[in-house]
Amino acid sequence: MARYAMALDYKNCIDCKACEVACKEENGILLGADKQRIWVGHGEIKGEYPFLDITSNTFMPSQCQQCETAPCESVCPTHATYYDENGVVRVDSEKCILCSYCMVACPYDARYVDDRTHIVDKCNFCSDTRLVRGETTTACQATCPTKVRIFGDLDDPESEISQVLRVREYFTLKPHLGTNPKLFYLT
Amino acid sequence: MSIKEFIATIPYNRISLRDLFAFEKSPVNILIALMTLSFLVMFALGVAIYLEHGHHAYGVSRQHPWGLLIAVYIFFVVSSTGLCIVGSLGDVFGFKDYMAVSKRAIFGSIVTIISGFAVIAFEIGHPVTMVIYNVLSPGLTSAIWWMGTLYGIYLTFMVVEFVFLLRNDMRMARYVGFFGLMFGLLAHSNLGGVFGFLNARPIANGVFYPTYFILTAFITGIFITFIILGFRYKLNFTEEIKKLLTGLAKIQALLISILIFFVSWKMLTDIYDGLPGRADVALHILGSWTFWIEVVLVMIVPMVVILRNMGENLKAIFWISLSGMIGIFFMRYNLVHDAQLKPLQMLKIKEYQLAPEWIHYFPSAAEIMISLGGLGLCILLYFIGSKLFNLDADAHH
Amino acid sequence: MKVEISRRKFLQGSVAMTVFGGSAVTVPNLFSNEPPQAKPALFSKTGTGEAQEIPTLCEMCVNKCAALARVENGVVTKLDPNPLFPKSKNMLCPRGNAAISALYDPDRLKYPMIRIGERGEGKFQRVTWDEAYNYIMQKTLKILDEEQDNRSSFLFCAGEGMAEHTFKSFYEAFGSANWLNHSSICLQTVASAYGVTIGKYPEADLENADYVIMAGANRAEAIVTPDTMDLFKRTKNRGAKLVCIDPRFTNTAAKADLWLPIKPGTDLAFVLALTYVVLTEELYNKSYVEAYFNDFELYRQNIVENQYTPEWAQTITGIDAKHIYQVARDFMAHAPRAVYYPGRRSTFAKNDFQLRRAMAIFQALGGGIDTKGGLIFGKQFTLKGHETLAPLYERAQGRALGKPRNHDRGHTGYHDCAIVTGGGSWIQWRNRFLDNDMPYNVRGMYIYKHNPIINTPGSAKTIEMFKKMELIVCIDTMPSDTVMYSDVILPECHYLERTDPVKTFGGAEPSIAQRNKVVEPMYETKPVRDILRSLTRMLSRPMFDITKKYDESVQAEIAEYGEEEVFKQFDINQPFREHQEHLNEHEVSAYPGAAEALRTKGVYYPDMEQYFKQISVNDFEYYPENKRYYSIGNGKPLTPSGKIECNLNNLVAKGIDPMPKWRQEYEYIIPQNKFLLLTGRHAQFTQSSTRNNAKLRDLMIENFLWINKRVAQKMDIAFGETVEVSSSMGSLHIKAYPTEKIAPDQLFFIHGFGEESEALTWSYQNGANDNAIIEDHVEPVYGSAAMHETFVEIKKV
Ligand SMILES: Nc1nc2c(c(=O)[nH]1)N[C@H]1C(S)=C(S)[C@@H](COP(=O)(O)OP(=O)(O)OC[C@H]3O[C@@H](n4cnc5c(=O)[nH]c(N)nc54)[C@H](O)[C@@H]3O)O[C@H]1N2
Ligand SMILES: Nc1nc2c(c(=O)[nH]1)N[C@H]1C(S)=C(S)[C@@H](COP(=O)(O)OP(=O)(O)OC[C@H]3O[C@@H](n4cnc5c(=O)[nH]c(N)nc54)[C@H](O)[C@@H]3O)O[C@H]1N2
Ligand code: SF4
Ligand code: SF4
Ligand code: SF4
Ligand code: SF4
Ligand code: SF4
Ligand SMILES: [Mo]
Repeated sequence: MARYAMALDYKNCIDCKACEVACKEENGILLGADKQRIWVGHGEIKGEYPFLDITSNTFMPSQCQQCETAPCESVCPTHATYYDENGVVRVDSEKCILCSYCMVACPYDARYVDDRTHIVDKCNFCSDTRLVRGETTTACQATCPTKVRIFGDLDDPESEISQVLRVREYFTLKPHLGTNPKLFYLT
Repeated sequence: MSIKEFIATIPYNRISLRDLFAFEKSPVNILIALMTLSFLVMFALGVAIYLEHGHHAYGVSRQHPWGLLIAVYIFFVVSSTGLCIVGSLGDVFGFKDYMAVSKRAIFGSIVTIISGFAVIAFEIGHPVTMVIYNVLSPGLTSAIWWMGTLYGIYLTFMVVEFVFLLRNDMRMARYVGFFGLMFGLLAHSNLGGVFGFLNARPIANGVFYPTYFILTAFITGIFITFIILGFRYKLNFTEEIKKLLTGLAKIQALLISILIFFVSWKMLTDIYDGLPGRADVALHILGSWTFWIEVVLVMIVPMVVILRNMGENLKAIFWISLSGMIGIFFMRYNLVHDAQLKPLQMLKIKEYQLAPEWIHYFPSAAEIMISLGGLGLCILLYFIGSKLFNLDADAHH
Repeated sequence: MKVEISRRKFLQGSVAMTVFGGSAVTVPNLFSNEPPQAKPALFSKTGTGEAQEIPTLCEMCVNKCAALARVENGVVTKLDPNPLFPKSKNMLCPRGNAAISALYDPDRLKYPMIRIGERGEGKFQRVTWDEAYNYIMQKTLKILDEEQDNRSSFLFCAGEGMAEHTFKSFYEAFGSANWLNHSSICLQTVASAYGVTIGKYPEADLENADYVIMAGANRAEAIVTPDTMDLFKRTKNRGAKLVCIDPRFTNTAAKADLWLPIKPGTDLAFVLALTYVVLTEELYNKSYVEAYFNDFELYRQNIVENQYTPEWAQTITGIDAKHIYQVARDFMAHAPRAVYYPGRRSTFAKNDFQLRRAMAIFQALGGGIDTKGGLIFGKQFTLKGHETLAPLYERAQGRALGKPRNHDRGHTGYHDCAIVTGGGSWIQWRNRFLDNDMPYNVRGMYIYKHNPIINTPGSAKTIEMFKKMELIVCIDTMPSDTVMYSDVILPECHYLERTDPVKTFGGAEPSIAQRNKVVEPMYETKPVRDILRSLTRMLSRPMFDITKKYDESVQAEIAEYGEEEVFKQFDINQPFREHQEHLNEHEVSAYPGAAEALRTKGVYYPDMEQYFKQISVNDFEYYPENKRYYSIGNGKPLTPSGKIECNLNNLVAKGIDPMPKWRQEYEYIIPQNKFLLLTGRHAQFTQSSTRNNAKLRDLMIENFLWINKRVAQKMDIAFGETVEVSSSMGSLHIKAYPTEKIAPDQLFFIHGFGEESEALTWSYQNGANDNAIIEDHVEPVYGSAAMHETFVEIKKV
């Protein structure tokens, strides 16, 4: 039992996309941009050369926010989407009827249809790959050159993520929606 | 009485298969027959493509997972609810004037919802799993679960009500019809809730859709009533039917004026002071031609035509009901599409792409074929029903 | 046609591409996609059952990051970073992760092949290894016989790689003097300029520097370890100030505190002006200069008297003088914990050698040499060294150079360039070959892990050169354009299928690392060492026979010592007899336990057991702070004189400025309606070698042309529209990406795309090859390719 979450030192991100490939390899995600569990976004630069706005090009790594109040879970007609014992929002491929409601409901565009299993899938913090094998990092975290991600247990006050969140400022995405994301962007 | 015995008591016309598919070979009829047939062929083709390629056969995407089939499903179930409301005027609420259409309307509501289910079956990836896990692990917070379950119950009630109507058991028909109507309205507002619950989509989120759905269902029901009675009487209405239709036309005018209020205020509040994700989307909608089709065909034209001579010009109303249904279709399509217009993730995720602005969607051939197939199925079922059952009100009414 | 279909399907994304997909095999096109022998479940997730973890080193690029390969049922399912390696610091970049797709790429070279069609036509016949060796032998012997044992009638070319020196041993034993590698199209000028100025091409201690100037080095996209990791963890108010100087707004610029877009090729003026500020305001580290500078005063005069003021530089570089003052002052305020980053791929412009020297001297003025937070020399553990053989062939001629210039007229150096180094000048050598300006015939080529057709400016000329060769032997893993122009293709196995030479990595935290074989080689592929073992076994005696025939001193020796004794010195098979595993053990035999550690952990350094520890979920410590080799000589330069060499008088004789100077000829104007073309890296691709990788391609399908947005608008070019770009070398088509990240008079696109080899399913004619239009300008000192001196025109198509 844990309450897994991830903190992102997102300003360190260089948009290399190692995390995307690592996730695909680890979790066997199909090719195709609309298939990924994880992505890095950025805006087109603002300003006119040579007067450019550096911050408009900030890289924003993102994935499923592992909401504590997850719209995808509440809208799921068959409980295919559920909270596992570690607070991870998971999808039970047995129960998913591919109604796509969760895709429409997720405010973060975090879900996609897996073309082999024909269910809607999403990041699950590598629960059925690395975590079951007893590993303590996610694939995207482990590979990152600039160590953007800190994955850990919020219920453990000694965990690095708990410590970091106690001392550093952070924000979450679309907080007004009340989804209580467990992806924390460190500023 | 066992179910078997009950079924045995359903009165139906014992006709040969040949008679069942016989019809008067007028040009219009032949045209409709050919159309229906080609729709059914398309249905089979569309389904075949879907079975081969899954959702890739559709124009849907990660950002726009719901497409034409959802819109068409809504179109059918709204029609069903609407017909149920119209049918209930007579046999549930006892408005004598409307009795004459009850049986036909209730039958229509069954046919349309079955067509709706037939279409959605090819949108839901795993309909069988759905049946199983809707029961085994019901998602009670899910508007889709409620909508589906309530529609299931609703359909049962409608069938039973129809049987009582056929058996001329008006008392039982009324009780069952009442529950049918209740479940229909509940189911239908839940369908509105499917959108209304979307916190992530400010354009859809809130109380609007559940109520608006009931209103537009009634409007749809009246349009369809005009259409089926128009066909039934080949526009030569009996006095009784004239009275009925004139009454419905007046109700329709009232409903449409309410709808105009609804939509105007929705747009106004959407746009007012520019709330992001809502105002921009509303403005985008205002700029789309599909929205104006909806406005012209469902609101302006019917209003003008009905009000011109207070619902007396039934032939004209018949025609604007036909075009009205086209408008209603766009209304459903717009609703589904507009909810997904605004990308939830506005950044570029590839080096070489333009930042997403609006999500584009256009139905694929398979989707269009399955949708038309739904219409074909609906016409076919209705045609068979009109042969098998006596859908006219019984003489002693 | 088949290829077309699968390409289209892929583009639509409607069909999940599997590794088995793709085109069918049509003889004689043997490159196509046969199912690999092991069944790689490319899209299956890693399992929870039994698995092996084998330590290896990545070879998707030059960095050699340490990886742990997860092997399930004989299939590599995942590559994870191996945290033990101080150089790669527990990371794998996207390419490192995607190596699995390279391993199981159905387009891989699978069998030895011999050309049967016209050169370049792409028609090959599958043969056995012996048939291939035999063919090579016949042709080689014929040429050698006709050239009367002039071993230099063969050219050897190599790209960078852990086994590059294995191949080089072949070249040395073979006895040719013609060797061309990547250095003259990569880092020749920077490495040499730092070498002659401070004694070594140094590392930058970005983990501790407080102020970093990154000029012409894009560490966010051109990944170099550990620099990339060290730097970006510390940017954006996290410890280091970063000044990025790049004409383009790169991902490095996106992390910078200050981005100064410079006019390409004018960095030298910028550095001279920085130096001017530092010298005139006396901001430099006086004690360091006192102790370690040669000819400081001369240099000071050079700078001050030439009036290299920031105002002067502003007009040349386009960088505001006030920024130049600011950067100079800030740099020195932080020195010695300040780094003017040396850079990696030079050469941008003709003045590159002088630029790098000026940078090195500027760095040294702050005292940031051989010190924490500055440029460091670091320590390197020595290996035993491997056996090589370099027989003396009397008839072998020296390197095929252009003649020395006429000294009487004040010209020095050679036609090619002033200083000829081991790596040679790719462009000059090629061009002279084409001009028939060769001292003798060169008729054959052996190429290892190198794709000069795509990677050397002037692809058409390189092809022309290939067409004139009688024998081209290519050892590669993929059917590159270069492979397509060869006669014999020898397929090397993928790096995950071989144990490579153990390597020592220097720096503040030195270590030794080894690539271990992860899975058995698929198809009929082999490591280059095994290929060379078999090849030389066959070649050795007959080649010796030819030497015997022509080489009089050999004849004399035989007369004296007997044939077998003499042959021993000429047995070119000898360096390859040992197996790699044994050799590696021997190389590290001075370090107890090292061989075992390298096999089981992939990494070794003394006291690793004791020193290595995890300090947070992401970070590891390799050496305790006080054990790191930030400084090995208290700041003393490694030049023979032990001083920073400001004034290299011996260069004068070669026609090179002894001190960095700005010359009028460095200035240029971009003609009206033309653009200056820039080239460079992308984080998800390695030059030409990752172009066919399905996973990487998934991240970015092709390269686009960066064009200034306002210019594009004026020319009515919209995003994604195809434009034609042309230079004196030729023209190409590419899609446009209008952006404000580039100056109105410049264009850029990522290097490494647009190959013409049809055997590459995904990259065949995908995007554009910049070297098809980059002109063959060279800088004069080493003859390195000056890649940013090409003006191009564009038009919408
Ligand atoms: N226009 C332009 N040109 C450039 C550059 C640029 O930025 N712009 N960059 C320059 C630089 S810095 C460099 S270093 C050079 C690099 O130029 P190259 O040394 O040619 O490097 P790659 O493009 O990586 O190609 C290497 C070849 O090795 C093959 N290969 C990969 N792995 C193996 C293996 O394990 N064994 C064998 N036998 N072969 C293998 C690949 O298939 C490929 O054909 O290019 C230079 N050229
Ligand atoms: N992902 C990835 N990483 C790699 C490689 C790879 O292929 N892919 N290759 C490896 C190799 S072999 C090498 S050599 C290194 C290369 O590493 P870098 O040298 O850092 O790589 P480039 O992209 O060639 O960087 C050149 C940068 O200089 C800019 N530039 C061009 N002209 C000028 C100029 O006149 N002045 C200044 N100040 N800037 C200029 C370009 O816009 C570009 O951003 O990367 C290594 N790492
Ligand atoms: S691996 Fe790290 S640096 Fe690279 S894109 Fe992902 S989060 Fe950003
Ligand atoms: S981010 Fe989306 S998919 Fe993830 S838990 Fe929240 S609502 Fe669900
Ligand atoms: S698609 Fe699957 S997971 Fe999503 S709401 Fe429907 S049943 Fe639940
Ligand atoms: S946590 Fe695991 S599943 Fe989620 S994005 Fe990272 S690698 Fe993928
Ligand atoms: S930087 Fe990337 S490609 Fe290069 S060696 Fe490291 S992991 Fe491999
Ligand atoms: Mo390089």
